[in-house]
Amino acid sequence: MQTNKEEKNKNSNKKKKKRKEENPHLGFTINDNPDLLMEVLHRLDGRSLGVAACVCKLWNSVCTTDSVWEALCNRHVGRMDGCDDGGRSAVVAAMGGYKRLYTVCIRPVRTRLGNRAGWTRDEIQLSLSLFSIDCYERLNGLGSGSVEPPSSLAFLREPVNVR
Amino acid sequence: MKREHPDSGGSGSGGDFSEPAAASANGKNKCMEEPPDAGMDELLATLGYKVRSSEMADVAQKLEQLEMAMGGICGGGGGGLGFCGGDEGVVSHLAMDTVHYNPSDLSTWLESMLSELNAPPLPPPSAASTASNLPPPPPTEILLDDPLAPAESSTVTTVDFSHNRHGHQIYTSCPSDYELKAIPGRIVYGSDDSGPDKKRVKPSKPSSATTVDLPAASSSSSTSRPVVLVDSQETGIRLVHTLMACAEAVQQENLKAADALVKQISLLAASQGGPMRKVATYFGDALARRIYRRIYPSEDLSLDWAFSDALQMHFYETCPYLKFAHFTANQAILEAFAGHSRVHVIDFGMKQGMQWPALMQALALRPGGPPSFRLTGIGPPQPDNSDALQQVGWKLAQLAETIHVEFEYRGFVASSLADLEPYMLDVRPSEVESVAVNSVFELHRLLARPGAIDKVLNTVKALKPKIFTVVEQEANHNSPVFVERFNESLHYYSTMFDSIEGCGGVAASGGGSLSPGSNSQDQVMTEVYLGQQIYNVVACEGADRVERHETLAQWRDRLGSAGYAPVHLGSNAFKQASMLLALFAGGDGYRVEENDGCLMLGWHTRPLITTSAWQIGQTRTSDDEPPISGLTRPESDSP
Repeated sequence: MQTNKEEKNKNSNKKKKKRKEENPHLGFTINDNPDLLMEVLHRLDGRSLGVAACVCKLWNSVCTTDSVWEALCNRHVGRMDGCDDGGRSAVVAAMGGYKRLYTVCIRPVRTRLGNRAGWTRDEIQLSLSLFSIDCYERLNGLGSGSVEPPSSLAFLREPVNVR
Repeated sequence: MKREHPDSGGSGSGGDFSEPAAASANGKNKCMEEPPDAGMDELLATLGYKVRSSEMADVAQKLEQLEMAMGGICGGGGGGLGFCGGDEGVVSHLAMDTVHYNPSDLSTWLESMLSELNAPPLPPPSAASTASNLPPPPPTEILLDDPLAPAESSTVTTVDFSHNRHGHQIYTSCPSDYELKAIPGRIVYGSDDSGPDKKRVKPSKPSSATTVDLPAASSSSSTSRPVVLVDSQETGIRLVHTLMACAEAVQQENLKAADALVKQISLLAASQGGPMRKVATYFGDALARRIYRRIYPSEDLSLDWAFSDALQMHFYETCPYLKFAHFTANQAILEAFAGHSRVHVIDFGMKQGMQWPALMQALALRPGGPPSFRLTGIGPPQPDNSDALQQVGWKLAQLAETIHVEFEYRGFVASSLADLEPYMLDVRPSEVESVAVNSVFELHRLLARPGAIDKVLNTVKALKPKIFTVVEQEANHNSPVFVERFNESLHYYSTMFDSIEGCGGVAASGGGSLSPGSNSQDQVMTEVYLGQQIYNVVACEGADRVERHETLAQWRDRLGSAGYAPVHLGSNAFKQASMLLALFAGGDGYRVEENDGCLMLGWHTRPLITTSAWQIGQTRTSDDEPPISGLTRPESDSP
């Protein structure tokens, strides 16, 4: 994976340079405008973000910032019953970040419950509960010291026949 | 078996399949006898076959012939992996056309089968010699192994469970008096699928297929292939009857009979597969312990606690029961604490504190910000004097700090909850602080000593909690009549084990980032955890018997007469619970039910654990109405 990324990186850089050399008037490349890139990536879904993270180093760095994943997680939720969004961000960030929340909890939960368009409040709450357990285990070296990762959420990791 | 459940159905129908496959397994395999003195005749007779020991070699050879005859047809598909997908039409054709008489008499049946199928010309000499090189199986023992374990070494016979289940259709037209539902043929040759094809396909199938089949088969015959010829349903029923009879004998102090029956239980249990076998083994062991109580020392409960903590973690990870309990109790507590700025939770069974991260997170995210959260954890003294409670407190404090919740912790060691007095728990006045008391699987232990439960309920009342959440097993394992207790717990734990199989089984196959071994290890440890409970229910008496589960109705009565009123768990709890269950691998077997405000989690139709919530009931001023719990009390609104 790493070599692929590096290769792609080299290739895209080369291509960029080449294109710029060939067409000095082609002034705009997305990579020159990371803010714009961020805006675009804010609107992607989970899998696309993962793919985007493999494009080049710049994209990777954008995709690994938590705000992109936060946007993903918050997109369909809206305001959860007056829940303080800022507060939620802080808590989630503290517990390990939105990216981890998505990969460890939200995605398996959604997959298993059937990928409906919007996320219900209950799904979010459930995911957050599970995430907190995950955080608890990680914090306490239940995972970090030993060989096995924390296993309370093991049931989410296993392949399951989704009906 | 009282419980009707997919497994036995599955194994029943899975094994409903070909006799030749089973029988040929019998022949080819070196059969291992269990107890040295039981003759082959008797053993097979228990299983429903009538074979004379003298005829064994002959039977075996005929079985091989049959095997070859059938293997030849199917062999076309993929060499050694002999099963083609059973052709439905052909299968039923054979099923309808062939007539089987008295299949339990193996030798005559085999002759009829062979003549029926018009055994093809013997396979080429090489194959034939391979076949005949198999030493005629001496009257050795049948390896009664776990029939669901796939045959490791043999390629031909390797289990294709789905195929065998499919292939079993051949013999559904067996005469009705004989129900051969052999243990899933997945362990034996899948060549049952091939049988019917024989009729349609010319016998002159390239015997290269058989050649491929045989060496694989012969090579594996030397290693013990797990094979069981068992009428599994019949033995299952017999097993249950034996268990119940043994319990009767024990109750009547007829120890000799009980002893004999216990031995029979272990024999019969070995012939079963999957959860039934494990349950039967545990119950048989427990009965043995009860019978020989003088030999087994009374259990050292303190050791048990430390061990059972670790075991409970495995239980927590493998199946949803504890998670369900935690999430539903948390929801009730969260709702009760709405609007309060200082909250205090008292946990009667702290263990590893897995319930509280989720509550802390929910409190942190509640509108209006988190309250100041105080937790008192109560636990038994540890045998190695390690301060487990304090450690758990530290861990929770770390989490609380991470999510910015003001946190205070106190650990409290008590060997029994009845030792607690309200003043010990340092509860602040209720204007300042709201209290919740939480008990997961702890209250039933108090029933072992008279008066303990009442004392504890009074203590809790004195704490003036906003809510008292109780999670208990949904079963009556506290009847003074031993046989009743036994039967109830047999039913209950059978269902439990089935459900573990449901979620554990998939886990074992998946593995994810964990090694496959660890998943099944989790399952094993979970079973040990439940096994400890079984031992306690069956083998212990008096103060030692702490697993005194009672049903929701009984708890309702008890709590009602102690002055508590039920609090209905809201739909939030129900939704979260249902969603949680849907995440589990065996998800479709679990059921959440709402029972008059309490939530019950069960497996299929049987509820297994119940979460209920209580508050201090208002003073009873009912004039004519008797103080029936719950019916006359005003209930608090759940937000």
